[in-house]
Amino acid sequence: MEKGGKGFSLPTKTARKSSLKSTTAKQASLKGKDDSSAKSKRAMKVQFDIEGSLGGKFETLPPKDSSKWGKGDKTAKGGKGSVSKPPPPLELKIEQELPENVKCMMDCEAADILQGIQDQMTILSKDPEFKLPPSFDRGLLYAKRVDHYTSPPSVRQVLQTLKKYGVSDGEMCVIANACPELVDEVFALVPSLKNKRSKLSEPLKDVLGELAKLKKSTSLESQMKSADAGNPGNVGGLGVVD
Amino acid sequence: MFLKVQLPWNVIIPAENLDAKGLLLQRSIIIRLLEDFAARKATKDLGYYLAVTTLESIGEGRVRQQTGDVMFPVVFSGITFKLYRGEILEGVVHKVLKHGVFLRCGPVENIYLSHLKMPGYSYMPGENPMFNDKVSRIEKDIVVRFIVIGTKWLEAEREFQALVSLEGHYLGPVS
Repeated sequence: MEKGGKGFSLPTKTARKSSLKSTTAKQASLKGKDDSSAKSKRAMKVQFDIEGSLGGKFETLPPKDSSKWGKGDKTAKGGKGSVSKPPPPLELKIEQELPENVKCMMDCEAADILQGIQDQMTILSKDPEFKLPPSFDRGLLYAKRVDHYTSPPSVRQVLQTLKKYGVSDGEMCVIANACPELVDEVFALVPSLKNKRSKLSEPLKDVLGELAKLKKSTSLESQMKSADAGNPGNVGGLGVVD
Repeated sequence: MFLKVQLPWNVIIPAENLDAKGLLLQRSIIIRLLEDFAARKATKDLGYYLAVTTLESIGEGRVRQQTGDVMFPVVFSGITFKLYRGEILEGVVHKVLKHGVFLRCGPVENIYLSHLKMPGYSYMPGENPMFNDKVSRIEKDIVVRFIVIGTKWLEAEREFQALVSLEGHYLGPVS
C-alpha cells in the first residue's frame, strides 16, 4: 500500500482521495503532463493572475493570447508549459452556466418590469417597512439606458423565429441587447452562431429588419446623426477594430 | 445579463407578528421576504438581486421549537443581474488610469478594461486623462461596448468584478 512520504509518483489507477494525491496531480499538470484520469476526478480551477489594478485571480482566459479571441476554460491547464491544444473561443455559453429555474431576459423586458416597479414606488414607499434591494436603482438605470425597443413582447416574438435554426435563448438575448443593424455584426458579436451562418444569414436579415421597426425613435435619430457625421468605418458610432 | 429567477425561500415570521390573520399575515410574509431579499444583495450563482416580481406560493407554516417563530416556505420570482464571459455589454467609464479604465455596468462597479485590450488606443494624460485613437476617445462618462473576458466573485464584499476587452469588431465607444 502506497503511503505518503515514500516518494511521489504520477497518480495510479486506484482512486485515492488524499491531499498528497491532489498535490501530485497539480504538480503534474503544471509540468505539462496531461494525466486525464487525475484531472477528471476533480474539476481543478487553475486561475491566472492578471496584470492590472484589480489584482487577484479571475476565471478567465490565458493572458498570453491577447491578440486573438481569448480562449479560456474553467478547467484550463496552467499557462506555463502546458500541452498546446487550441483553446476554446470566447463565446457566451450561458445555457451551460445557468442554474435550474433561471432564464435569460432581454434588457428591454427587464426595463419594462423594473420601470413598472418604479412607477409603483409612491404607493409602495408609503409602507415604512418596504425595502428595495440596493442594486435596484442601478439596475433600472442601466436597463433604461440600453432599452432600444418600443415593445419587448414583439421583440421576443420576432427573435423566437430563430429558435428553429438552433439559436439559444442566451444568443437571442445578446442579439436583442446589442441591437445590431447588420448580419455581420450579429456574427461578430455572437461567434457561437458562426457555424450556422449559411442557414442563418437570410432569416437574420428578416429578423433585423423587423427589429429595426421596433426600435425607439431616439436611437434611430442618434444613428442617423452618426451616419451624417460621415464615419464610414463606424456603425452607429462604434469603433470597428480589425 | 438580466435573469428571471424562480427561487424557494424560507420566510421566518417572529411570534409577535403572528396575531394577524389572512391578508395581514400575507403582508408580513411579503415584507419579510423583501427584507431578506434586499439584505442578500448578490450571490455567486445568480448575480445582483434587483427585484421581487411575483410571489408564486406560500406553503404551510412550521413552528420553530426554540424561538416560537413560524417558518413559511415560499416560492417567488425575481430579477437579478449577472455578467457572463463572452457577453456583450455597454458600460460607462468612471475612472481613467494610465494602464486602463474602470467602467460600471448596471450594479457592477468594478469592470476593468486594460489598455492591452484597447487595440489602437493610446493614453493621453492631463486634467481629463483619456485613451484615444484616430477617430474616438475613451474618457470619463463615455459609454463603451465591450466583451466580458472574465469575472470574479468577491465573497466578503458580495460583489462581482470583471475584466473586459475591446478586441473584436463592433466594440468600442458608443455615440
